Amino acid sequence: MSEKVLLKGNIAIAKAALNCGCSCYFGYPITPQTEIGEYLSSKMQEKKLAYVCAESEVAAINMALGAATSGAKVMTSSSSCAVSLMQEALSYASSDELPIVLVNVMRAGPGQGYIFPSQGDYNQATIGGGNGDYKIIALSPSSVQECVDMTYKVFYLAQKYRNPVILLVDGLLGQMAEPITIEDNPYPNIDNSSWILNGAKNRASRNIHSLEPNPKKLEEHTLKLHKKYLEIEKNEVDWEEYNCENADYIITAFGSMARIAKGVSDYYKTKGVNFGVFRPKTLYPFPYERLRELSKKTKVFFDVEMNLGQMHKDVCQAISQNSQVFFIGRPAGEWLKQDEIIKAIDKIFEGQYATSI
Amino acid sequence: MQQVYSIPKSIKQNSTFTFCPGCDHGLAIKLVAQVIDELELKENTIAVASSGCSVLLYDFLDVDCIESPHGRACAVATGIKRAHKAQGYNKFVFTYQGDGDFASIGLAESLHSALRGENITAICINNTNYGMTGGQLGPTTAMGQITTTSQSGRNKEYHGFPIKTAEHIALCEGTSFSARVALYDIKNIINAKKQIKKAFEYQKKGLGFSFVEILSTCPTNWKLTPQDSHKKIENELIKVYPLGIFKDIEND
Amino acid sequence: MIKSFIISGSGGQGVLSIGSILANIFMLNNLFVTYCTCYGAEMRGGAVNCEINMSDKEINTLQNEKVDFVVALNQASFDKFISKVKENGTMIINSSLAKILKPRNDIKYIFMPFSEEATKMGDIRMTNSIALGILAKLLGGFNFENVKKGYEKILSTKTELIQKNIEAYLLGYNYKMGEM
Repeated sequence: MSEKVLLKGNIAIAKAALNCGCSCYFGYPITPQTEIGEYLSSKMQEKKLAYVCAESEVAAINMALGAATSGAKVMTSSSSCAVSLMQEALSYASSDELPIVLVNVMRAGPGQGYIFPSQGDYNQATIGGGNGDYKIIALSPSSVQECVDMTYKVFYLAQKYRNPVILLVDGLLGQMAEPITIEDNPYPNIDNSSWILNGAKNRASRNIHSLEPNPKKLEEHTLKLHKKYLEIEKNEVDWEEYNCENADYIITAFGSMARIAKGVSDYYKTKGVNFGVFRPKTLYPFPYERLRELSKKTKVFFDVEMNLGQMHKDVCQAISQNSQVFFIGRPAGEWLKQDEIIKAIDKIFEGQYATSI
Repeated sequence: MQQVYSIPKSIKQNSTFTFCPGCDHGLAIKLVAQVIDELELKENTIAVASSGCSVLLYDFLDVDCIESPHGRACAVATGIKRAHKAQGYNKFVFTYQGDGDFASIGLAESLHSALRGENITAICINNTNYGMTGGQLGPTTAMGQITTTSQSGRNKEYHGFPIKTAEHIALCEGTSFSARVALYDIKNIINAKKQIKKAFEYQKKGLGFSFVEILSTCPTNWKLTPQDSHKKIENELIKVYPLGIFKDIEND
Repeated sequence: MIKSFIISGSGGQGVLSIGSILANIFMLNNLFVTYCTCYGAEMRGGAVNCEINMSDKEINTLQNEKVDFVVALNQASFDKFISKVKENGTMIINSSLAKILKPRNDIKYIFMPFSEEATKMGDIRMTNSIALGILAKLLGGFNFENVKKGYEKILSTKTELIQKNIEAYLLGYNYKMGEM
């Protein structure tokens, strides 16, 4: 086992990216993710890898799009309002079936907002702002260790499904250091020789494009993508359960909020109340099925988020009709703390129906 | 009997240009294909098409090709070039863009690629309007020129001034070569091919960003015959957009 | 048992150095730890602070309303964080750069002129390590090998500097509480 090191999430992500063979990085500075680009700038130059201080996030993700056609493992990183700028290219890359890793270390919105911790980009990551029937795989870590493990995974999933993947990181996790171990990348490399653009030598020329003036072909292409998404939904759903078996209540939360939720669960355990925590690790595909199953036994859910209820709709969609979901959250600015969540839950227990605090 | 003409090898066999009659795109693509043949680049090339009529490039050119989002061709090309370089390969990478793509929506990407001295080539077809959408005012529409969005002619009060792209690119330190050519007669066609070849050769030599702006016709949107369109370039447009080499790192 | 800390001062006082050394010492003692530094525009004006949680169990309280210990290396830090100390918590203050005032009576205060002590040692940069020594004493002391390793992790091969810092740490550690 490797030695334990104290690392902040941003650096852990950058190290893991290099470790699993990321050879291209393109980025533009924005707090709170800038350390990723700073760390990689010197390391990648040492190794003569591709690194460009892009003129904008628009340019950065399009450089990534170009680089991905070579079959290389490519990454860009950014934050919230600047990820908005990348939506067009994500739609293109989905249609082009290009593996791009995008790390979004979230800050507060809407608009420029501020650098406060927030989970306001759940919708942006899972629904997206690009056009057309496309899907982006989205994973959300809840610890610095998971920042490493999931970085490995997002590169693998991007290559495996030839699809953009977002690593959606809470601003706090990007900035927070925890002791972690960096093991080797456990995932295999994917053979991409059948589709990459590297010069039409001893083979027919290839082209990668989303434009399709033939309506029948366009429909076929979109249906083909759809089929791939169904495959992803079947194979890649991932989640964590904490005391969920026989829980009277279950808190649903993602990212760092799931850890706060565990604290809430521990608190109620001392009061003799069984509180489980259900944490989707993949936001797309969302673990609807498992949540539905849990809702057959557990009738009351509390969805806790650092936004005004973005994952809430997915939780509502997942649980059975006989269960109900209360939402507890607050928009970015001030942190949603354990005591506040407990206070809000107690208030709901007292019968004062509240959807937010 | 001696064969004096053949379709370039880098043009897809059995393809027919689908551009409007009299449009210079077909000729421009043919010249690019001839240069690719002559420099034996076909098996080592990745082309970047863009949005607008220029996107059709990959229907005709028989090389690996990706279509870029509107305006981002130089960024996409940067990524391609650098990714292969990181793997130890020197691929030949060029973009084929319209003036709207290169100099309006994509000006930041274009100019910054030139400033970085990105070792790629950009070919920009300047037909002074947004052709594919039906002839609207673009960044290169000349003063007084009538388009569907400047129906009484471009004027400075409403529309401001057009951009002289090749001159701007020539100002960038990372640029190795910047030229403007036209295709209205044989002499100019031969010269255009010569400049395209030079731009490609400069990339092969690793000299930095090379650029050729091709003044082209758009008979459909100009509402002129092909002949009159070429006359318009010869008599009017080259006064606004003078032909010539604005930067040549090996000969300046 | 979870314990939480804020260390605060101005740029150049080594706030993040001792924060990170402390977090590393906790890690080397096989404890769970989270370590957050202020970032971005928060650093404008030269204020620097960091927050540390330490526990023998997985840490789920990532942000604290109030903390057990605040180390304030200057007046601005004292003013900013006095309200963040838990009831019965402790504030450790560099009295060389902060007034000896006790506006709350539900917390413990430890005033010590760290900067003056460091200057006496011949290096004002040792201010932070003296403070760390005091904090270590209040926490019941650490495995000394781990303290050395903690310093080595942050100061890597600067042997002389590590030695000096450890002297400062010990000075703080052995400071008689009565003298404060």
